[in-house]
Amino acid sequence: MAMTADEVLAIVATEAGVEASALRPDATLVDLDISSLDVVSVLFELEDRFGVEIEPESIPPTSTIAQFVDHVMSISPR
Amino acid sequence: MSRSVVITGMGCVSGLGMGVDASWQRIRRGEGAIRALDRPSPSGKPAWAVQGQAAWIDPDGLAAAASRLDLRRLGRLDPLSLYALLAAAEAVGQAGLAGSPALRESAIVLGCGSGGNATIDTAYERLFAREQAKVHPQTIPASMISAPASHVAMLLGIHGPTMVVASACASSAHALGEAMHMIRAGRADVVVAGGSEACLSLGSWVAWQSLGVVAPDTCRPFSQGRQGLSLGEGAAVVVLESEDHARARGAPVLGELAGYGATSDAADMTAPDRAGIEAAIRAAHRDAGAALDQPALISTHGTGTRLNDAVEAAAMREVYGAALDVCAVIATKSAHGHLIGGTGALEFVLGMKALAEGIAPPVLNHLGPDPECALPLVLEPRTIACDILVSNSFAFGGLNAVLIGRKRS
Repeated sequence: MAMTADEVLAIVATEAGVEASALRPDATLVDLDISSLDVVSVLFELEDRFGVEIEPESIPPTSTIAQFVDHVMSISPR
Repeated sequence: MSRSVVITGMGCVSGLGMGVDASWQRIRRGEGAIRALDRPSPSGKPAWAVQGQAAWIDPDGLAAAASRLDLRRLGRLDPLSLYALLAAAEAVGQAGLAGSPALRESAIVLGCGSGGNATIDTAYERLFAREQAKVHPQTIPASMISAPASHVAMLLGIHGPTMVVASACASSAHALGEAMHMIRAGRADVVVAGGSEACLSLGSWVAWQSLGVVAPDTCRPFSQGRQGLSLGEGAAVVVLESEDHARARGAPVLGELAGYGATSDAADMTAPDRAGIEAAIRAAHRDAGAALDQPALISTHGTGTRLNDAVEAAAMREVYGAALDVCAVIATKSAHGHLIGGTGALEFVLGMKALAEGIAPPVLNHLGPDPECALPLVLEPRTIACDILVSNSFAFGGLNAVLIGRKRS
């Protein structure tokens, strides 16, 4: 199932407990206080919903939201 | 210098509603919260739905209350933690300690009978029913039995000794009693104490039903025709404080936690033992310096099972003798159900409210007297003139805790 950037952002907001409006493209995960456990939770939901397997190690804390969304959307569902 | 332990704040959430005032208004009018429960299973399979009678929390009211707390940084919350957070925030707010530096050195002792049942159900349903290989990464931190204590510490900024104690249906009574001793011992001036339970998930529900203790109809404590307990969910939390500390900061004093008696039957995993119960009641009175023949409001364990109620009634008669007849005996599980680990604290909170207001809430669903339970039961709301509350909790596995509260003017 194809995903949209908005769907990815909605999962980030829910799983990481961040206001959707705070998810600016240039904000980094560190800026937003999104922890490694938050990232793992986001990746779990993405895998569940869209069948994409993403290694947590591929997401450094310095990633921006734009980089994160691009990376997620570049990976094909299994 | 006094190490007396006073109550400066109280909070609760249960099927009766959100908050102590709302819950008290309902219970004093004789309204109960046990009603039909129809909760879908995680997978939506109808055969796996929870169906029966229970005192459940209205999800809309819960969501509205939760939206007033900043839960953003706490991670995934099982209802077990959410209930504790709501009750703790209310109690600390009433105590005038919200955001206070005094909280930093405070302690937390919460009682829980089990961990996050809904979180565990969801994970196992994925593994066993849907044959998925993974569960949510926060399954462990969200469902561990100590999660509510950690979450309350994070929300309130509490850095002192923080833990969950577990003794099944007496967990939160033990929590209050042990918290009282922390203050008496000078280990803390303020302890946030209470308990929580979220046992209305499918797995927990079926396990309780399989044990054969859940009533097919409703909870009828000490009544003829009683058939068992009704489960409830929720939490209750109090702020306990050394009297000196409370007076020095001009805090409201809602009452005193004056005594605590704890015993173990060392006899049976499910059957109550009269000697163990009697010993706990006597120990609590000794600890509080409260005579056995003074009029008391007695908040019974009163589960509505055949065995508990008969044994508890016999134990009370043995301890108090004829003086029992000047007491007012209540059983609030008939209104809020059995909150397992959270029940002792909720019954203590409602009992202290009743003591302060001078009104005993009625035992609900009573069909008529049982000769094995000859007690001065309060069957209609009535005024009382008692200075002490005796609050009984007796757990599976023979773990007994009795608390004594004293009215303060």
